[in-house]
Amino acid sequence: MSISHLSPNSSALEEGAPAMEGSFVSAVQLTKQFGEHKAVNDVSLDVAKGEVISIIGPSGAGKSSLIRCLNLLEVPSSGRLRIGDATVDFDTGTPSKASVRNLRNYTGMVFQSFNLFPHFTALKNVTLPQMRVHRRSKAEAEERAMQELKRVGLESKAGAYPAQCSGGQQQRIAIARALAMDPQLMLFDEPTSGLDPEIGAEILQVMRKLASDNMTMLVVTHEMEFARHVSNQVAVMVEGSIIEQGPPEQIMTAPNNIRTQKFLSAVLGR
Amino acid sequence: MFEIFAYIARGAGWTIVMTFGSAAIGIVLGLPLLVLAESKFALIRGIYNSIVHVIRGVPTLVWLFISFFGVGQLGITLSPVTASLLTLSIIATAYMSEIYRGGMKAIPAGQWEAAGALNLDRWSTLRFVIGPQLFRAVSPSVATQIIGLLKDSALVSTIGVADLVFRAGIMTQYHAHGLYMFGIAGAVYLLLSLPIAVFSRTVHTRITRRYAVA
Repeated sequence: MSISHLSPNSSALEEGAPAMEGSFVSAVQLTKQFGEHKAVNDVSLDVAKGEVISIIGPSGAGKSSLIRCLNLLEVPSSGRLRIGDATVDFDTGTPSKASVRNLRNYTGMVFQSFNLFPHFTALKNVTLPQMRVHRRSKAEAEERAMQELKRVGLESKAGAYPAQCSGGQQQRIAIARALAMDPQLMLFDEPTSGLDPEIGAEILQVMRKLASDNMTMLVVTHEMEFARHVSNQVAVMVEGSIIEQGPPEQIMTAPNNIRTQKFLSAVLGR
Repeated sequence: MFEIFAYIARGAGWTIVMTFGSAAIGIVLGLPLLVLAESKFALIRGIYNSIVHVIRGVPTLVWLFISFFGVGQLGITLSPVTASLLTLSIIATAYMSEIYRGGMKAIPAGQWEAAGALNLDRWSTLRFVIGPQLFRAVSPSVATQIIGLLKDSALVSTIGVADLVFRAGIMTQYHAHGLYMFGIAGAVYLLLSLPIAVFSRTVHTRITRRYAVA
């Protein structure tokens, strides 16, 4: 287990350090194996600060597994990962608690199933993690929580329990909860898949705003419109591997890989 | 007449001590047992499962006789009260930990994942996220279990603890009128179970009202 803290301007990178020096996230040859099955197979990915990357592909391709590897909800079987100054090498064993904590400090995650804490009000959902993790006072945490709830347009729901909110509202509260932790990388795992299309649109609206505020985002999605118009890069994943990556226009209109073409013609119906 | 009633009703003292004493011990000690039940090592889970199976598979009365008459043979003499409380507590612990285990299954994996993604440490996750949801999930079963313990506690009369049944038995020996004497005992049991049921219902509706409305 090696945790090294690279200063951003260190020119003398150690041997084997990620190739792209300017990138904020650098995943190198990540593999996640479940038994015999490689859900993520030798994936390398670089994300620059402020970049929005959509990860698309057929279901079962390992998209969710990949972004869950980035905040260690799944611990990769091998490979290396750096986010900001936190680095973890999975070839040398299970990551230490401290390195998991360092890495997760950079990330926020939004789930398909929202995963709000049902026994807390919206406000407490957003304040409790701040108080426990960042040791913010109740007043500080609440002030911040109200800012974030306002940002997602739900300050009026602060006192409501999740069960008293619609799915779309719950997802926006979940986004506020993640944002209040000051993440520098937001991971979205199919955030609209559990919602009706018109409700999904309100989530996408919030995400679009986040992107325009320069948040670095990785989005697993089936929303081709979002992938095309909001992201800077689209990565296509099939059978555990990223088979093609590039600017959205190129991927959507002139994909090189035959399997990308197949996938797109299936989802876009053309 | 009233004196007979008062004599039997005083047995409620031991009945209450046995019931709530063993329930309290079971509710507390059942929690650390969860760690064994949910261990990632199959061997530890296996040991846990066997112990729970043995404890629950043998009738309470037999356990009571083993700890009172049987353990005495090994040179450790337990008083009826100690033997009773010990036996009921061990049984209560086994049942409570199984109730907790069931309750843990009712908590979606997403709750753990959300806590992990937010970087909550293990203690905060258990204390603020999982614990309260577990409490809600198990409270009806725990109340049912306590009422079960209340009724099982009648068995301690067989080894000489002066509970409701024991005292009703003595009065029957003096005055006959078995129907009347044990009727009194039965009525006191009902009276004792009532607050448990009411308390459990109040707690449950209070915590579900908030977040079961969709």
